[in-house]
Amino acid sequence: MSWDRKRLGRLASDLRLFWILILLMAVLSVVSKRFLTLENLTNVLWSVCLIGIMSSGAIYAPITGGIDLSVASIAALSGIIANALMNGLGLNWILSLALTLVAGVLIGLVNGIVTTRFKVPAFIVTMAAKTYLFGLAMYISSGSQITIMKPRPFLAIGVGRFLGVPIPIYIMLALTLASHVLLRYTAFGRRAIAVGANEVAAKLSGVNPDRVRNQVYVISAVTATVAGIVMASLTQQAFAMNAGGYELDVITAIVVGGTSLMGGKGSVAGALVGAVMVGFINNGLNLLNMPSSYHPLATGIVILVALIINEGAGLPTVLRRVVGVR
Amino acid sequence: MSDILLDCRGIDKSYGGPMVLTDVDFQVRRGEVHALVGENGAGKSTLVKIITGVTGRNAGTMVFDGKTIPEAHSKKAAQELGIAVIYQELSLIHGMTVAQNILLTREPLYRGTRIIDVRRMNRMAQEMIDRYGFKLRAADVIDHLSIGQRQTVEILKALSGNASLMIMDEPTSSLTSEESAQLFEIIRTLKQRGISVLYISHRMEEVYQLSDRVTVLRDGRRVAVLDREQISPAEIIRLMIGRTLTERESVNRMVRRDGEPVLEVEGLCSGDRLRDISFTVRRGEVLGLGGLVGSGRTEVVRAVYGIDRFDRGRVKFLGQPFVPSVAGAIARGFGFVPEERRLQGIMGDISITGNVAVPNLDAITSRAGFVSGSKELEHSRRAVAMLNIKPADPERAVGTLSGGNQQKVVVGKWLIRDLKLLIVDEPTVGIDVGAKEEIYTIIRALSDQGVAVIVVSSDLPELTRISDRILVLRQGRIVKEFAEGEVTEEDVLLASSGITTGIRAEVAP
Amino acid sequence: MSIRVVRRLILVGLMVLIAAALAAASPAFLGLDNLMTLLQDASQTGIIAIGFTLVLITAGIDMSVGAVVAVTAMVCANFLEHTGLPAAAFVPLALVGGCLAGAFNGWCITRFRLPEFIVTLASRGLLAGLALIIAVKDADGFVKNVFITNEGFLKLGGTVGPVYLSVIVFFLLAAGTQFFLRRTKAGTNVYATGANPAAARLSGINTARTLIGVYMFSGFCAALSAVFLCARMMTAMPDFGIGSEMDVIAAVVIGGTTFTGGEGDIWGTVIGTLFLAMVKNGILKLGLSPYTQPIVIGGIIVVVVVVDVWYKSFAGAVAARARRRQAQRGQA
Repeated sequence: MSWDRKRLGRLASDLRLFWILILLMAVLSVVSKRFLTLENLTNVLWSVCLIGIMSSGAIYAPITGGIDLSVASIAALSGIIANALMNGLGLNWILSLALTLVAGVLIGLVNGIVTTRFKVPAFIVTMAAKTYLFGLAMYISSGSQITIMKPRPFLAIGVGRFLGVPIPIYIMLALTLASHVLLRYTAFGRRAIAVGANEVAAKLSGVNPDRVRNQVYVISAVTATVAGIVMASLTQQAFAMNAGGYELDVITAIVVGGTSLMGGKGSVAGALVGAVMVGFINNGLNLLNMPSSYHPLATGIVILVALIINEGAGLPTVLRRVVGVR
Repeated sequence: MSDILLDCRGIDKSYGGPMVLTDVDFQVRRGEVHALVGENGAGKSTLVKIITGVTGRNAGTMVFDGKTIPEAHSKKAAQELGIAVIYQELSLIHGMTVAQNILLTREPLYRGTRIIDVRRMNRMAQEMIDRYGFKLRAADVIDHLSIGQRQTVEILKALSGNASLMIMDEPTSSLTSEESAQLFEIIRTLKQRGISVLYISHRMEEVYQLSDRVTVLRDGRRVAVLDREQISPAEIIRLMIGRTLTERESVNRMVRRDGEPVLEVEGLCSGDRLRDISFTVRRGEVLGLGGLVGSGRTEVVRAVYGIDRFDRGRVKFLGQPFVPSVAGAIARGFGFVPEERRLQGIMGDISITGNVAVPNLDAITSRAGFVSGSKELEHSRRAVAMLNIKPADPERAVGTLSGGNQQKVVVGKWLIRDLKLLIVDEPTVGIDVGAKEEIYTIIRALSDQGVAVIVVSSDLPELTRISDRILVLRQGRIVKEFAEGEVTEEDVLLASSGITTGIRAEVAP
Repeated sequence: MSIRVVRRLILVGLMVLIAAALAAASPAFLGLDNLMTLLQDASQTGIIAIGFTLVLITAGIDMSVGAVVAVTAMVCANFLEHTGLPAAAFVPLALVGGCLAGAFNGWCITRFRLPEFIVTLASRGLLAGLALIIAVKDADGFVKNVFITNEGFLKLGGTVGPVYLSVIVFFLLAAGTQFFLRRTKAGTNVYATGANPAAARLSGINTARTLIGVYMFSGFCAALSAVFLCARMMTAMPDFGIGSEMDVIAAVVIGGTTFTGGEGDIWGTVIGTLFLAMVKNGILKLGLSPYTQPIVIGGIIVVVVVVDVWYKSFAGAVAARARRRQAQRGQA
């Protein structure tokens, strides 16, 4: 292993994320006495879980130079679909979940095909999808909050624990690990990065960018579906408004974690840390008794800053540009 | 008022390395058509860039229309002086009309307001169009115009800015012969009106037809200024190449190889770009493709590799019919080094290892889809070692390497495969001399191992040196094959220009 | 006949058909009341869409328009009720606020060369949060519903004859902006910047200034729409306008402006706005579940963009094939 500057630099930037996280925790524990309590941290865990699950799949879209804004709507919709299958049609819960996942795959395929075959920019496609999927969710559920009381195995997903640790955590960790392996250690991951880095060069080297992109949007939709299932089980509720605004948190987590929105670079571990940070920020705002819709503000600031630092090559350059020196 | 419009003396230029221009004097008279010729790398585009303010000069003076041009020259200043460049389409706005394009930023306004007087604008534009005898309508949207017509619009746009010097760089490369003839008429009209035209071209017949004077550059120096009576295409080419036999490093002897055919192309046709191309490449042979810009060389290799579709023709690989596709080509043992290294060849932010891995994923991936990190690194190390890539760090981002090393990465990722055919489009553009030699050695080594190589190159010394056989393309057809005996750069250039060598220099249409 | 004209005719034809179908299904549809309300709804989205059109013409996007509406609404509520200033004094202030928000967007985009989508997404978050911060809250910290009583201001929500003032302003603004785009140098610069920024710069156009101006105008339009919204609703809530981006995008996209830049005009946006308003009104009148609305809108956007792209590539392929055949014939 060569310890040249580049390697050390990368290590430092990975660690830097951790330091910022620790710092954030310190600040928050000072700001509110309730922060470091077990009860509070457990609360944070839920939203971190959901954002983390969604990020593990959604990260591939920016890596290929696109974006998936429909993840939150997919999550809400899958909760409603799962419930409709299990309690509306009375199907076996395993079958229902399987079918829900299939629905997720199909939704992802639609996104992928419209963006590859018809060359529509990804953010338009996924933004429109966000809208019509939300409408679909509202339509199926008639806009109501449906409480899910059964089947028990399904509820166990969200509420159950294994070895004292809540199952959703396992799911999040498993998916994050799988995504990390997929990105770093498989041919698919290499291809996705190649497409984002230089699509023409990738094509000349035998990569099929359209196929890769289709797969990417399917992956994103599937993890969103899983998140939706977990959320429905956790909250015992199928509600179209669930997960509203989560796509912004997911993007923030991914960007803060070091993934470039221009493509070619990505860090799943970073996204996980980013998810934790976003969870903490939201939690902090809650603790300060700010209404929950303040978090777009914080998220907005965080995205802008993270973006400028990521794309603008470092804080000194950014500051220099702000002051007007080139 | 002096007769000389543009007077450059003693121009020196270097981009931080070797001198690109050395002590160049260059004059353009008023109302003359002045051709600037020279091989690739002779310094033509650099001189033009200096005149138009795109880049600065290290030394020398420039006087335009009696006004001295300071060292801090700029594009805007050049425009204001009256120097205009006709880009190909680069400076036109689609979706707008002819009149709008011609008078962009100079639109006539209603007095006292900021409102465009569209009728006056159309009228002014149409007046200009008619004055020069063009057949354009001011209110037409340019999207539906042919390339030749769009070029006319660009010229008119320059004229409306009161240009007194029009610079045209290879303006006919995308034009039909009819449109070219129209362009020549335009140039003659411009000349009549006292506007000077600086014409850069490789096409000798055009230079011969149009120019009042010709300046020949070679290796960054001005070697001759010819008056009309002195101009003959063969003479110009001789001046462009200029190297005497003793100055050449090695004798360029063509060798006909007789291995089994690796690639056989028959009757390849694609629109008006490629017409009935047929050739064979054999094992261990280095086939050079020569020709002027736009002659179809790149189109041929892109069609064969499966990037572009073609209308007619058959391709056989190792005797088996092959319908070109990139994936199919790679699977069969093709490799492709594209023309534009930065845009098409490398993934700048990714490491050497990452770049090398992409076409080789099949070799390093297990059945389950997992990439073997150790095999990947081994590939990368092998490429680095084989090609002597510096710095020898597989984790370096390719974008941080020098041009030569970047090209080695692009070549290297194919080298570690079981290659049967390597296509290289412009192997050494923008690469230092040392790296160039290394690449030539690599190509030589490949052919020794039995790999067939197709090289497209505009660098004549390079082409004649590394090729075993040379095919010259012109206007989409193969016009000459050099398969035996000695070949000089003149021979290739003459063939590319459609001039049959002989005692009389014949000018082909 | 150019493709743009054909497209517009198809749209208008569709609108007539839909209107006829709606009138048949629900006689209340063609009533003056309903039509006027429809137009008022249309003008709400339409005013924002006018500014948005310019942004799209420059090949950009402004995701923050909804948030600008929210902030402006809050400014109205606060300033109006708590400073007692006359409407004439601070409506301009509110509009200036919108311009400032747009200027901030434009500055970030040009200065840092950041993608428009992300910058405006981030500023959307910033402004939405800002709206919440300046919202009037009661003792417990929950947002209070402020009722606007300023007479001068409320007149803005009124009518001139049977037609709502906002509708008149919408059409006037549309006409003015269309004129600006087609008949002034600055308008030409907007098209040039969107179609070919490099060429525009080569010709001496200051593309950065053009872009900032365009985003400022987008912010202005959003603020203007907010003013009318508040006057109409007689109140202001911090979530006004949040989520209206889809409607705006739908209106502009239906109208034929593309995301690639360099083309599009206001008349298309007007048609698109009316089309969309009619569809939404129709859904209501037909008694369909209101949840079909987002499905329809999202679906329409995808379908329209797909058809547009497909047609362009189809027409391009046809033209290319014709050229190839001609070339082959030419040198046979």
